[in-house]
Amino acid sequence: MMFDRGWLRVAVVAACIGIVPTLSRAGGVGFGEDDANSGDDGPSYFGFVREVDGPGVADAKVTAALKDRGALVTRTDIMGVYKIPGFGKDINPDDVAITCAKDGYVQANVQRRPHDAGDTKDPVEVECYLKPK
Amino acid sequence: MLVAAAALVFALSQASAGRAQTLTGSVTSAEEGAMEGVLVSAQRTGSPITVTVVSDEHGRFRFPDGRLSAGHYALRIRAIGYELDGPQAVELGAAASDVALKLRKTADLAAQLTNSEWFMSMPGTPEEKRPLIECMSCHTFERIVRSTYDAEAFFPVLKRMAQYANNTTQARVQSRLAERDVHDDLVRKLAAYLATVNLSSGPAWPYELQTLPRPKGRATHVVITEYDLPRKTIAPHDVRTDAQGHVWYSNFVENFLGELDPKTGAHREYAIPVQKPRSPTGALDLEADGDGNLWLAMMFQTGLAKFDMATKTFHLFPVQAALDNDAAQQSMVMPRASSVDGKVWSNEVAKQSILRLDLKTGTYELIDPFKFLPKGRLHAPYGMAADRENNLYFMDFADENIGRVDAKTGVVTIYPTPTPKSRPRRTMLDDQGRLWFTEFAANKLGLFDTKTESFKEWDVPTPHTYPYDVFMDKNGELWSGGMASDRVLRFDPQSGQSIEYLLPRSTNIRRVFVDNSTHPETFWAGNNHGAEILRVEPLD
Repeated sequence: MMFDRGWLRVAVVAACIGIVPTLSRAGGVGFGEDDANSGDDGPSYFGFVREVDGPGVADAKVTAALKDRGALVTRTDIMGVYKIPGFGKDINPDDVAITCAKDGYVQANVQRRPHDAGDTKDPVEVECYLKPK
Repeated sequence: MLVAAAALVFALSQASAGRAQTLTGSVTSAEEGAMEGVLVSAQRTGSPITVTVVSDEHGRFRFPDGRLSAGHYALRIRAIGYELDGPQAVELGAAASDVALKLRKTADLAAQLTNSEWFMSMPGTPEEKRPLIECMSCHTFERIVRSTYDAEAFFPVLKRMAQYANNTTQARVQSRLAERDVHDDLVRKLAAYLATVNLSSGPAWPYELQTLPRPKGRATHVVITEYDLPRKTIAPHDVRTDAQGHVWYSNFVENFLGELDPKTGAHREYAIPVQKPRSPTGALDLEADGDGNLWLAMMFQTGLAKFDMATKTFHLFPVQAALDNDAAQQSMVMPRASSVDGKVWSNEVAKQSILRLDLKTGTYELIDPFKFLPKGRLHAPYGMAADRENNLYFMDFADENIGRVDAKTGVVTIYPTPTPKSRPRRTMLDDQGRLWFTEFAANKLGLFDTKTESFKEWDVPTPHTYPYDVFMDKNGELWSGGMASDRVLRFDPQSGQSIEYLLPRSTNIRRVFVDNSTHPETFWAGNNHGAEILRVEPLD
């Protein structure tokens, strides 16, 4: 069964904020530290992947890329919605390029809603449009 | 570097003990009559080999012809809730033997529970229980639940345990040189929970013990062979076979590479030079390069070791001083495609990073694949696979990601798994570019298709299995095992059908391996806490 990725990371795990033991993994003692959240998260990215003037596109690949450095990749859910957890807060959202792809389509355009670059809490909304080949 | 083999050969010739015999029998109890799914094990006096079969729906069992030779055999059984009333042994002579095994109810059910069954039995929320999946790395839950510590007494115990190396077993406890910082509030929280599930409040557990059902149907069509290793301290972690059918394994707590000939039972060890005498010894990942030579990740001894299969000698690749310290730890190695660019992948656990060894210079490059992600979140590059171009795929065992490092550009791509907090652990890449992996904390098997960059996930049928590793065989079936359930999972991802083979005793499985050269295929694993190599042969 195929699972679509929903919200990738719950941003608030209030009980454990700031608890980051420096443990070494290879199978080791964890004591539940994987709830840790550093508070260093930059804004997340979300939106629809749609056909131009059409419905949302399910199971489309969505990439949030930092040029020549790296990328986060996820896929849309059955409604065509994607959500990507943020990079570090030292990454300028304007340096993050959102692209989308799916077999049988080419990317038409990307529309980014206005966003305060200094606001690390407010998610960045980016719509990505595909058109059939 | 030539290292003299620390050879320890124990002769086990089954053939020399006499002609092959046939042993059949029945299993009954007063409560159930004929019993299906009872594991019956036979071990000849003086032999380190134990053969196990499982009773069918009529309560009958049969050891395959040729597996047992003449001699005196100790018999044991595994059937949850029961113990063997008798007979406890059988003498195999010239004629075929048929024994009638009688079982009686056990007076100590708790002693028979697997970690999975303790998980099922213990009250508490998933969040309360989740930290316990780390405990299985060193010991079973029985040690916890039979304790009488209250929360206050548990606190220093947990603090002390956090300072043990992860390559620790009950037979060989090893302390870390670099002290770990474990936050007291997390320890207190866990201590308070453990004091609610142990015997601190009375002589009996304040909850009902839950058990898993015995095998039935196809799960009884199996022969299991255990090879006892010559020292209780041997902790086989990764196991694989070579072209001759010999079994090779890494020893998690001692600096030896082990070799077992399953046909004769001959066992041999090759000593790996100790580079850091004060640090814990032992190796974890055992992988083959394109030439069939074996590589070991040397854990706290740091660096990598290459074992030349022709000369039977080691070549060590120590980590350069700038990257080495008391906390440094290499748990993984991936040499599969090193002939492409002369590079071997590894990891630096303490820095949550990847290492890449340049075979020409012998130096390591440190790569932080998470440098653009939020700081402070725990990550751990763990299980590794390399494609034909030596691009690396790795599991982020502390979090929920699969990562890819481009061998030429160094660009990192992170793919979060569909299930949050999944903690992907070990992996294999098949020849179709499909990455099969376990989601340790999510109790799932996973597929990441490197061509389509898409995931599939399947729940493991038994709750609280916490699969450690998975291997796809030549028929497209997945084989998996772990530290909790004492079961080997055989799963068909096409049909969703699964079979779980119960193992004869408490078994802590890490890396799993399937030998596709046999018909049917043969599953191999080590019992990390039990000093044995395990072979599972399905009969269908």
